[in-house]
Amino acid sequence: MTTLVRLEILRTLRNKRYLMFTVLYPALLYVFFISAYGNGGTVANGVAAKSYFMVSMATFGAVGAVLTGSAQRISLERKSGWTRQLRLTALPGRAYTLGKIAACAVTTLPAIAVVFAIGAIEGVDLPAVQWLGLAAALWLGSFVFAALGVALGYAAEPDAVQPVVMIVYMLMALFGGTWFPVSDSLRTYARFNPVYDYNQLASFVHGGGVAGFPIAALAAFLVLFTAAAAHLYRKDARRA
Amino acid sequence: MTTGTGEVAAFRNVSKSYGRVKAVNGLDLVLRPGETVALLGPNGAGKSSSLDLLLGLREPDSGTVELFGGSPRAAITAGRVGAMLQSGGLMSDVKVREIVELACRVHPRGHGVDRVLATAGITELADRRVDKLSGGQEQRVRFALAVAGANDLIVLDEPTTGMDVSVRRQFWEAMRAQADAGRTVLFATHYLEEADSVADRVLVLHKGRLIADGSSAEIKARAGARRIGFELHPADGAASGPDFDEAVLRALPGTVGLDVSTRADGVRTVRIRSADADAGVAALYAAGYYPRGLEVTSLGLEQAFLTITGEQDRTESEEEYVR
Repeated sequence: MTTLVRLEILRTLRNKRYLMFTVLYPALLYVFFISAYGNGGTVANGVAAKSYFMVSMATFGAVGAVLTGSAQRISLERKSGWTRQLRLTALPGRAYTLGKIAACAVTTLPAIAVVFAIGAIEGVDLPAVQWLGLAAALWLGSFVFAALGVALGYAAEPDAVQPVVMIVYMLMALFGGTWFPVSDSLRTYARFNPVYDYNQLASFVHGGGVAGFPIAALAAFLVLFTAAAAHLYRKDARRA
Repeated sequence: MTTGTGEVAAFRNVSKSYGRVKAVNGLDLVLRPGETVALLGPNGAGKSSSLDLLLGLREPDSGTVELFGGSPRAAITAGRVGAMLQSGGLMSDVKVREIVELACRVHPRGHGVDRVLATAGITELADRRVDKLSGGQEQRVRFALAVAGANDLIVLDEPTTGMDVSVRRQFWEAMRAQADAGRTVLFATHYLEEADSVADRVLVLHKGRLIADGSSAEIKARAGARRIGFELHPADGAASGPDFDEAVLRALPGTVGLDVSTRADGVRTVRIRSADADAGVAALYAAGYYPRGLEVTSLGLEQAFLTITGEQDRTESEEEYVR
């Protein structure tokens, strides 16, 4: 099984599209946001723009990496018959999905690291503990979206999966505070958007303390998405 | 019935429907160790469905499927079965060596990568990206995945699709080597000459039913192995002219099928399919005929196959008519 996981990671890192969309794209957007807001610019509640967007672009890249890495590939590989071929090996059925999630988990790290590096260069100043805590929080949070990606990969056919992923991804980002902070009037609803909760994990570096509700909400989403993924996987296995 | 060690695979009264289509209809079949078995049938005959059931990719609606006396999954987990599927997609963004290595590593009785690459004849492709291969090359990579370990049974679904003639020959050489090593091989194909030259047992599947099961020679014999063709001219006697009686020809020994057409000048062209052409021709002369332009030709497996499936279709439509 480790062979499969290693190969999944290797092929994801080899894929140029992955690097473009999940590492380069959020990094460029981040640079753009910093210059648009100016060096001393702030967003709502007086949080520095470069610090706010460092988090939101890291989550943007991580969610993108995880959704496309799992949903698109699973959907395509179901269609091509690779998943059937794997079922003819001694690997347990879950190995394939676990391999995908492991590959996702590894590939979110560059997306987060590159944006953090730009942030540090641009003058985001955090204690070492907070840098590490933030990276860990964002890394762990990405597993929620890996589970969602697996579910979408088993739910959608290959010709539909790209638009489906894009729509889900963009809507969650739009109302999740990725490109602009969520206004007070929308916050009541945004709490049920996993991307919003994901961004809120960073509240402790914005002087907010550890966010209890977002952690609980993300845990609930993780359970929900995992259950959906498991159900859809079993349904798919029956259809061969 | 006991599931002794003599059974590689067993279908017992297995049926599987997709919606209203009966893909597999009451299939009973046992494969024994060391056999090389060809599975023939027109498109939609249920070949792929049967293989899916055999490999446990699908569950039968009724009946049981066993591999080595247990479930298909157990046989796969034990590393006793290797398979090459018709629609077996491959991983993208990986090299040939990497995907073959994966197959070798996860196989409980896996071989070394280099050995498997050589067996499948893809050593020179080892560093190529899987997504950059031609159809025939991809087929050989799939074959490599099927022989990545010491399997007792190898299942191949239309393995030579997309291969050109020389590659196809190489492929069957590799396949024969597997069979010579004592492995049981089951392959579905629509190239009948492959079945004829490689298999020692041929199964004909039609509309989800097994309608023939025997050696290639037996299948041909059943279909009427030879065709006797000749003309009867009225000038050659009353039997060929006014007294002509089809029933006499039909009664010739070995006759399986008869086709007579008459031209305006009274010349009849006769075609007989016969399971015993020698006796048939002798009896023809004995009955007072003078066949002109006599030809006795051997039927290929292909014609035998068409004959058998055609007969089955006729029988079924007659059954429908009676109902």
